[in-house]
Amino acid sequence: MRTQASTRRVWIAALAALAIAFGLATAQAQEPVPQIEILTTTEAYDPIRYEAAFMVADTWRELGFEVIVRPLEFSTLLERFYDQQDFDVTILGWSGRVDRLDPQHFLSTLDSRQTSLGSNNPGGYSNPEYDALFDAQAAEFDADARRAIVLEMQELVAPDAPLVVLYHRDEVIAYNETRWTDMVTMAGEGLYNEWTPLEVTPLTDDRVLTIGSPQEPDTLNPLDSTSVWGWKWMRMYYDKLVRLSPEIEPLPWAAATITAVDDVTIDITLREGMTFHDGEPVTAEDVKFTFDYYVDQDFGYFRAFLTPIESVEVTGPLGVRFNLSTPFAPFITVTLSQIPILPAHIWSGIDNPADLAPDQIPQVGSGPFQFDRYDRGEYKRLNVYPQHFAAADIDIEAVEMIVYADSEGVFTGMQTGELDMTAWRMEPGQIPLAEANDDLVVVSVPDFGYFHMTWNLRRSPFDNVAARRALTMATDRQHMVNVLLDGRGEVGSSVVAPVNAFWHNPFTERFDYDMEAARAELEGAGFTWNAEGRIVAP
Amino acid sequence: MSRTYVLRRAIQAVGTLLVIVTVLFFLFRLGLPDPTAALVTEGLSPEDRAAVRERFGLDRPLFEQYVIYLGNVVRGEFGTSFYYKAPVASLVWEKFANTMVLMLVAIVIAYALGIPLGAYLAWKRGTRSDTVGIVLGLMFRAAPMFWTGMLAVLLFGVMLGWLPTSGMRTLPYEAAGFFDKIFTLDFLRHLIMPALIIALFYLGSPLLIMRNTMLEVYGEDFIEMARAKGLRERDILYRHAARNALLPVMTQLAVTVGLAAGGQVVVEVVFSWPGLGREILQAVRTSDFPLAQATFVLMAAMVIGMNFLADMIYGALDPRVKLQ
Repeated sequence: MRTQASTRRVWIAALAALAIAFGLATAQAQEPVPQIEILTTTEAYDPIRYEAAFMVADTWRELGFEVIVRPLEFSTLLERFYDQQDFDVTILGWSGRVDRLDPQHFLSTLDSRQTSLGSNNPGGYSNPEYDALFDAQAAEFDADARRAIVLEMQELVAPDAPLVVLYHRDEVIAYNETRWTDMVTMAGEGLYNEWTPLEVTPLTDDRVLTIGSPQEPDTLNPLDSTSVWGWKWMRMYYDKLVRLSPEIEPLPWAAATITAVDDVTIDITLREGMTFHDGEPVTAEDVKFTFDYYVDQDFGYFRAFLTPIESVEVTGPLGVRFNLSTPFAPFITVTLSQIPILPAHIWSGIDNPADLAPDQIPQVGSGPFQFDRYDRGEYKRLNVYPQHFAAADIDIEAVEMIVYADSEGVFTGMQTGELDMTAWRMEPGQIPLAEANDDLVVVSVPDFGYFHMTWNLRRSPFDNVAARRALTMATDRQHMVNVLLDGRGEVGSSVVAPVNAFWHNPFTERFDYDMEAARAELEGAGFTWNAEGRIVAP
Repeated sequence: MSRTYVLRRAIQAVGTLLVIVTVLFFLFRLGLPDPTAALVTEGLSPEDRAAVRERFGLDRPLFEQYVIYLGNVVRGEFGTSFYYKAPVASLVWEKFANTMVLMLVAIVIAYALGIPLGAYLAWKRGTRSDTVGIVLGLMFRAAPMFWTGMLAVLLFGVMLGWLPTSGMRTLPYEAAGFFDKIFTLDFLRHLIMPALIIALFYLGSPLLIMRNTMLEVYGEDFIEMARAKGLRERDILYRHAARNALLPVMTQLAVTVGLAAGGQVVVEVVFSWPGLGREILQAVRTSDFPLAQATFVLMAAMVIGMNFLADMIYGALDPRVKLQ
C-alpha cells in the first residue's frame, strides 16, 4: 500500500514537473525581446542627438520593441560606450578632423581587432573578410587599387548593418562678399582651412583677412596642443611635407618629390631654398629631427600617425628616407600632411617641450605665414613670409583672428564689418539673419565626420542581423536631417562620408525609412508578436 | 576697536576661506565631467587619456589630490591649467585686472549717481519725481543685463555704429603694461557701453537704500533742530541728513566691490570683454579644475576681504558703533 501510494506520488510529481517545465518553455518562447535602452547625450550638451534618440524610440516602439531613452552626461556616456561597453544602443559621433579624410581611421572602427575594452569598435562587429580587406587597403600604395578595396569594404559591410550612420551635419559659415572673393571651401573644414589665406583676393585696400572665433586655442605649442583650435592656426605658419588640396588630394609641398621605393620605404627630396622664419635653411636634418622628436616625446595626439615609422635616415642635404615597420598607405596622406616641420636648431635643446611656459614656446616655422603676435583671449596675427615659395601668389599681407566670448559676439562682428569671415559654424538662429544681410554670403559645407547609433552586437536582439536591418529601416534619418538639422546635412549611409567622394561608395544598401519593409524583414527571420503586440524573438 | 576683535575677525575670515577652498575642490570634482573626456572626440585613445590624467595627477585618490592641492594653495600656488597648460596664476591676474577696471568704473558711476539721487528722491517723497525715480531704478535692477546689453549692442553698435561692440581696445594695439592699455581714448570708447549697462543695473541699490534711510533720518530730532535754526532745506538735506544716511550704503558698497571680482559674466560675454567672468565660463566648460578653483577662490577672498574691511571701517565712520 505504502509503496503503491509512494509510486503514484512519484508519478504525479514527475508529471507535474514535466507540465511545469513545458509551461515554462512555452512561456519562454512567448517572452518578448528584452527592453532596449538607448544612451544619448543630455539635451544641454547636444539637443540634436538628444531629440534623435526619442525619434528612434518612437518608431522602434511601433515595431513592438520596448525602448527607453537614457540621456547621460558626456564623459559618463563615453565611459559606458568605450571603456565598459555596457550599453544596448549608443548615439555618439566622430568629428571630421582633416586627417580622417583618409578612410583609415573610420574604417578601423569596424575592425574586429578593435573590439576590446577601450578600443574604437565597441559595438563588436566582427567579420574576418572585412578585416582582411582592411589590412589589404592599408598596405596598398596605389591610390586607385586602394580605392577599389575601400569601396568593396563598404559594400561588404552595409547589408550586415553593424551600426546606423545617422547623419553628416553641414558646417554653415559666412563671409563678407563686399570685401573678399576667391574664398576656398573644404569638406569638413569650412572656409577656415589652409587654402583660404593663400587663395583669397581682397576687393578693397584692406589686405588683412580678419577671422572671428568664439574659442581660444588651448596652446600654440606644437608638442602640446590637442585641439583643432590650436592646430588650425599653427598649420598656417608651419609647413608640412605634403599638403592636402581643397579636393583632398595629397600635393607635395615642402617635399619636391615623394617616391615609394617599396611598401615600407619612402624617399623624400625637399624643395630647394626653403628657410625658417629666422632665416636658417630647412634641411633634411630638420625633417629627421622633427619625426624623431615627436616619436621620442611620445605625443599622444600624433601617435597613431607615427607608430608605423621604424627609422628616418638622412640621405643627402635635402634627401630623407622613411623606413616603415609595416606597409601603411595613409603615411603620405595623413602622416606627412599632418606633422609640422620643426627647426632642429631651436627645439633640439628643449627636453621637456610640454612644460614650456606660454611665452617660452618657440614660434618659428617655415610656412607661408609667420607668427607675429598672440594676445591670449583677444587677438592673433600672422604676416606673410615673403621668402616662402608660395608667397608670390598670396594676395594678402596678414591673417588675424579676433576672439569673442561666444558665437553671438562673432556674428555681431560680422554685422558691423569688423570681421571678414567666421571660423566655425554659426548658430541656427543666425543663419537667416546672415542670409538677409546684403554684405554677407552664407556657405554650407558638408562634413565628413558623422553621428552614429551603434548597437551592442553581443546582446539580443542585435546579435540577429535581421533585427539590425529592420531597426535601421525603422530609423527615420531623413526626418532627422529635415527637422533637427533644418535640412543642413545629409543622411548617412557609410562611415566614409559622401563628401569624401574619392573613397565613398554610393552604391551600398541604404535602408531608407520603411516600416513595412522592417516588419517584413522581422517576419522573414521568424520574429513573432505576442498578444500585447510585443515582439518575440524566433 | 580692540586688537582681539580684529584678530578674531581675521581668523574667522581665513577659516571661512579654507572651508570654501574645500567645498570648491570637491564640488568641481564631483560635479564636472572628467577633463579628458573632451579629448576623445579629438581622437585620443584610452591610453593617451590615462597619460593626460597622470600628468595632471588625476589618477591619484581624491583625498590625496585634495591634500596636495591644499598644500599648494597655502603656498600660494594654484597649479597648471588643464586647458591652457600654463600656470593658473599668470592667467588669472591679467583677467582679474581687466574685470576690476570695468566693474570699479561701473560701481563708481552707480554710487556717484545713486547716493545724491536717493537723497533727492527722499526730499521729494510722494511727488511724481519720486515715483518716476523709484520705478526707473527698479526697472534697471530687474532688467537682465544680457538683454539690456544686447539691445545696446544692436542700437549703438550695429544700427548706429557709434560705439565698438566688443573687447577692451581696437585690435591690434600696443601697450607697455596694464595702465598703458587703459589710459587711452580707445579704451574709453570700449568701456562706455558695458560700464553703463552694469552701472544702470547697480544704480537701484544705492538709490533705494539711500532714499529709505534718508526718510528715517528725516524723522530724527536733530533735523527738526536744524529746521528750527532756520537752515536752508538743501543744506539740511546734504550736510546733515545725507551724512547720517550713508552708513548702510557704505556696507552695500563694500559687498558690491567684493562681489565685483567675478565680474558680471553675462556682460563680459555680451561685450566679449576679456575678463575673469569669461575665463570662469571657459574653465567650467572644459572642466579645467585648477583654473576654475583659482578664480572662485579669488572671488571668495575678495568678498571675505571686503566684508572684513567694511566691519573695520564701520567703527571709524560711526563713533556710536562699538566693536568688541
